[in-house]
Amino acid sequence: MIRIYRQLLVAQIQAAAQYRIQAVLWMLFSIIRPVIFLAAWTAVSTAQGGSVGGYTTSDFAAYYIALTIVGHLTTAWNSFEFEFEVRQGRLSPKLLRPLHPLHYSVVENLVWKVTTFLPLMLVCLVIALTFQVKWSGEWWHLALFVPSIVLAAALSFMIGWVVATATFWLQRINTVNTLLQRTSFIFAGQIAPLALMPIALQVISYSLPFAYVLAIPAEILRGGVTLERGLLYLVGQAVWLALAIVAYRFAWRAGLREYSAVGA
Amino acid sequence: MYAVTPMDAPVVDVRALRKVYRVTERETGLAATFRSFVRRRYREVLAVDGITFHIDAGEVVGFLGPNGAGKTTTLKMLSGLLYPTGGEATVLGHVPWRREGAFLRGMTLLMGNRSQLVWDIPAADSFLVLKEIYAVPEAQYTRTLDELTDLLDLGPLLHKPVRGLSLGERMKVEFAAGLLHSPGVAFLDEPTLGLDISMQGRIRRFVAEYNRRSGATILLTSHYMDDVVALCRRVIVIHHGVLLYDGALADLAERMAPYKRISVTLRGTVGDLSTYGEVVSSNENLATIHVPRAQAAERTARLVRELGDQLADISVEDPPIEEVIDKVFASERPLAEAMA
Repeated sequence: MIRIYRQLLVAQIQAAAQYRIQAVLWMLFSIIRPVIFLAAWTAVSTAQGGSVGGYTTSDFAAYYIALTIVGHLTTAWNSFEFEFEVRQGRLSPKLLRPLHPLHYSVVENLVWKVTTFLPLMLVCLVIALTFQVKWSGEWWHLALFVPSIVLAAALSFMIGWVVATATFWLQRINTVNTLLQRTSFIFAGQIAPLALMPIALQVISYSLPFAYVLAIPAEILRGGVTLERGLLYLVGQAVWLALAIVAYRFAWRAGLREYSAVGA
Repeated sequence: MYAVTPMDAPVVDVRALRKVYRVTERETGLAATFRSFVRRRYREVLAVDGITFHIDAGEVVGFLGPNGAGKTTTLKMLSGLLYPTGGEATVLGHVPWRREGAFLRGMTLLMGNRSQLVWDIPAADSFLVLKEIYAVPEAQYTRTLDELTDLLDLGPLLHKPVRGLSLGERMKVEFAAGLLHSPGVAFLDEPTLGLDISMQGRIRRFVAEYNRRSGATILLTSHYMDDVVALCRRVIVIHHGVLLYDGALADLAERMAPYKRISVTLRGTVGDLSTYGEVVSSNENLATIHVPRAQAAERTARLVRELGDQLADISVEDPPIEEVIDKVFASERPLAEAMA
């Protein structure tokens, strides 16, 4: 499997190299939203004397920069890609090979993240300097962040695959994807850090998987959680990931029975 | 644990294979569209209706039928892409739709109108990915690629991005990609679709040579009868999902078209030739006559003798295979007695 991944990585890097500008543009596009919310919360915080619900202007900046990095590292577009592949008849050639189609997506996803990570960090550095961010974390926040971001990326990816399998039944899943994105927008800590949300929304947020993809690793990275809570979050992420994998395996097997191999 | 195929077992073994698609149905117009939002109507389409056949190792079999006959659906079931609605099948001893690794490594499905290569990179790089996916040993990979490069004249094409290749060039690299792992069974679905005459010939020669060299079992669909005539001694004909004929191509011609076609070119205008056989076409100085196979020699000799100097040219041949196949389709019933 290592040899397969190595060769897939080489091929994907070669393919991606031809679309460098597009990759960077997508990356820049993805950071617009957190930057807008950062600017808005900075204005609110300044108007309220430098703090909102315990979050200082610098905390907001740290949170949204962390959210930008986390968003980048956990983004997964495999459900969009999958629908496209099914409709274009491109899934069939992959199904004919002794390698699960999921592996191609993993490599594609990794290559995009790695190749656009450096420009992303430069943009984040500029934002950090502009908003005079002060990191208030401990060393163990960084240690917790590593497994947290891996679990979050895997969870996001597997949610993408669960949604992708809906293509077997629905053929078009744009609306499902849009619904998921809107839900994530509300409950994943994109509008505001979860601690600033009304209690009811917080309860819902912690009961759904979306915060475990974005808000939670972002809070860990900015140093906004205690060690005990951080560890609890990791457990929550692991549970959601396990659930997503089980759901995916079930949906994939059932979906293949429905697959009509149209257009191929 | 994978099933073990006995030495004499067929490589492809299909028994009462059936596939029913459920498709949504609605009338045309906006009102019908709105109604379909509330109450959706489904219709069952029987694509493959209980077909049975076996293919032995090394055979090249033509799988014929008009559009919508169920050929591609059958190939998709046999390559593990589709689950059947009923019946059984094994390919190389495996149930295809279980998609076991050993099965996938042992077969290939090549579709003339579909690409399996990455468009943005040269084929040579895609081949390296396939080498690892199929776990092809280095020496075998080099040998197979050299052989395929030689047979298909791939040399100049391997290092160009696939998107820059012409249709014919792309088809050649697609063939190589599909055969790099030396599959024991190859399902070829319209492999010469859209190719010019010269490239069709090239692909045909390649398939024949590949079968000869590797001993691979090949099931081929094509609308170009030249493909079938050049490659397949045996054909399986299906129509509306039902198997109509399974046997030798030559026998099919004799059974469905028990006549020979005599074409004559005269120096003057064609007169009444109906005493020689059934005149199927007549145009100024050209005429085509169908005569019973057994009497072809005698009728030809009579024509030569009786027309004398009037006769500029004469040829005797089997009817075109397209005509024969059309007759099978038109019969729409299995030629049971031919399928011994």
